[in-house]
Amino acid sequence: MDKPDGDWPNMQVVVARGNEAAARETSRPRKLQVLGILSGFTAGAWLGAAEAPTKLVSVGVSPIVISLIMVTGVFLARWSVPALVLGTSSVRADLRRAPHLMIWAVLAGCLWAVANTMTIFAIRDIGLSIAFPLWNSNSLLGILWGFIFFNELRQAGWRRWTGVLGGALIMCVGAALLAIASSTQAPAAHSMRGVGAALGAGILWGTMYIPYRKAYLSGMNPLSFVTFFTFGELGMMAALAIGYLGLTPLWHELIGARDVLFWLMLGGFIWVIGDVFQQYAAKYVGISRGIPLSNSNQLWGLLWGVLVFGELRGSSASTYMQVIGGSLLMMLGVGAIAFSSAAGKEQAQWQEAARRESQRYHIAEDYVQARMQGRQVEGEIRPPRTMWDWMLVAVATGLFVFFATLARAPRMSFHWGPAMLLITATLALLLVCGTTLWRTTRFN
Amino acid sequence: QPCNWLSSVLTDVHFWVPVAVLIGGLLLLEFIHG
Repeated sequence: MDKPDGDWPNMQVVVARGNEAAARETSRPRKLQVLGILSGFTAGAWLGAAEAPTKLVSVGVSPIVISLIMVTGVFLARWSVPALVLGTSSVRADLRRAPHLMIWAVLAGCLWAVANTMTIFAIRDIGLSIAFPLWNSNSLLGILWGFIFFNELRQAGWRRWTGVLGGALIMCVGAALLAIASSTQAPAAHSMRGVGAALGAGILWGTMYIPYRKAYLSGMNPLSFVTFFTFGELGMMAALAIGYLGLTPLWHELIGARDVLFWLMLGGFIWVIGDVFQQYAAKYVGISRGIPLSNSNQLWGLLWGVLVFGELRGSSASTYMQVIGGSLLMMLGVGAIAFSSAAGKEQAQWQEAARRESQRYHIAEDYVQARMQGRQVEGEIRPPRTMWDWMLVAVATGLFVFFATLARAPRMSFHWGPAMLLITATLALLLVCGTTLWRTTRFN
Repeated sequence: QPCNWLSSVLTDVHFWVPVAVLIGGLLLLEFIHG
C-alpha cells in the first residue's frame, strides 16, 4: 500500500536519527579506546609525580616505614577526592551486584604491598640500575596473562601484536637506559638475592593485573575496586611492617619520622590519583595495553628528579646521552602501543571473555555490557551521596591538614620554574582526562 | 547467596594463579629478609 506523500519528510527524519544513533554506537568503542589510552598517559604522569614528595625525605627512616606511611596516604586519599566522585552508596551497590570482586580487589592490594616491599630490598642489594628494568618486565607478564585469561590480542593481527609487544619491549630497553643513568648506587654484595627480589616484584605486579581485568570484565567501577584494593594494601603493608620491625620499634620510628609524615602521605595521595587512571586504562584498553602505557611513570619520575631536584648535575655526557636515548625509546614504545588499539575482531573476543565472567558469577549480561561501555543500565538510579560520605571526606581531609601542620620542609636544592611547569602539565592531563571521562562515561 | 559466589571464586582457576604468586612472594620475602 502506498504511503501518503505527507509522511515522507517524517520518515526521513526517523531514518536520519536512526543513522545518527547507529553511527554513535559504532564510534563508541573507538571513543573508549582513546579514553583508555589517555587514561594510561595520565596515570604515568601522576604515578611519576608521586615520587617527587618522597625525594624530600632524607635518610633516617627505614624503607618499610616509608612504604607503610605512603600506603596510609593512599588509604586516606581514597576517602577524599574519589569519595566526592563516587559515594559509599554506589560502592555498596557495586558490591551487591558482584560481591566476589571484593576478594579480587583485596588480593590485588596484598600483591601490590608485597611487590613494593620487594623493590626496597632489590634496590638495596643490586641498585636501581639493575632492579628497575627487571621489575618493569611486569608489563610483559601482563600481556601474557591478558592473552591467556582474557582473550586480549586474540585475532588482533600481526600489526597490532607487533605494536603492543614491540612497544613493551622497546619501553623495557628505554627503562633500562634510564635506570642505568639515574643510578647512584654501586651493586652490593647480595646480587642473586637482589635479582630474585626484583624479578619477584615484577611477577607479583604483573599478576596483580589479573584481578584488575577480572573486575572490569564483570562491570565493576574502578573507584569501587580501588576502595577494597586500599584495604588489602594497607592491611598487608601493616602486617609486613609489624612482622619485620615489631610493634614498639615501628611506633618509635613513626614518632621519629613525624616531620616527614606529610610528604610521604602526599606521595600516596598523588599515587592514588595515578592509580585510578591506571584502573580506567585497564578497563578500556585492557591490561596488555594499559599497563605498558602507565609504566611511562619512570620517564615522569626522572623528569622530576633531573629538572626539579637537580639530580645528575655534573654527570658525564654519556649519562645525558643515556637519559635522552632512554626517554626517546620509552616515548617510541608508548606511541607504538597507543596506535595499536583493539579492532572489532579483538573486541568481540573481549565480549566473549566478559560473557564467560557473567555466566560464572551470575551477573546480568546487560549490566556487564553497559558498564564495559561506560554506561548505566537502563532504569538504574545513581545512589546519592550521604552524610556518611561527607563525614569521611571531612575526616580524611582533616588528617591530611593535621599532618601538614607537623611537616617541615627540608633544606635542599629545589628548582621552582621546572616544578611549576611539571605541575601545570600534570594538572592539565588530569583536567583533560577527567573531563573526557566525565563526558563519555559519567565515571560509570 | 554468599555460598554461591564464594564457591565460584574458589573453583575459578584465575583466582588460584594470583594466590599462588602471593604465597610464593611471601616465601621469597621471608627468604630475602632472613
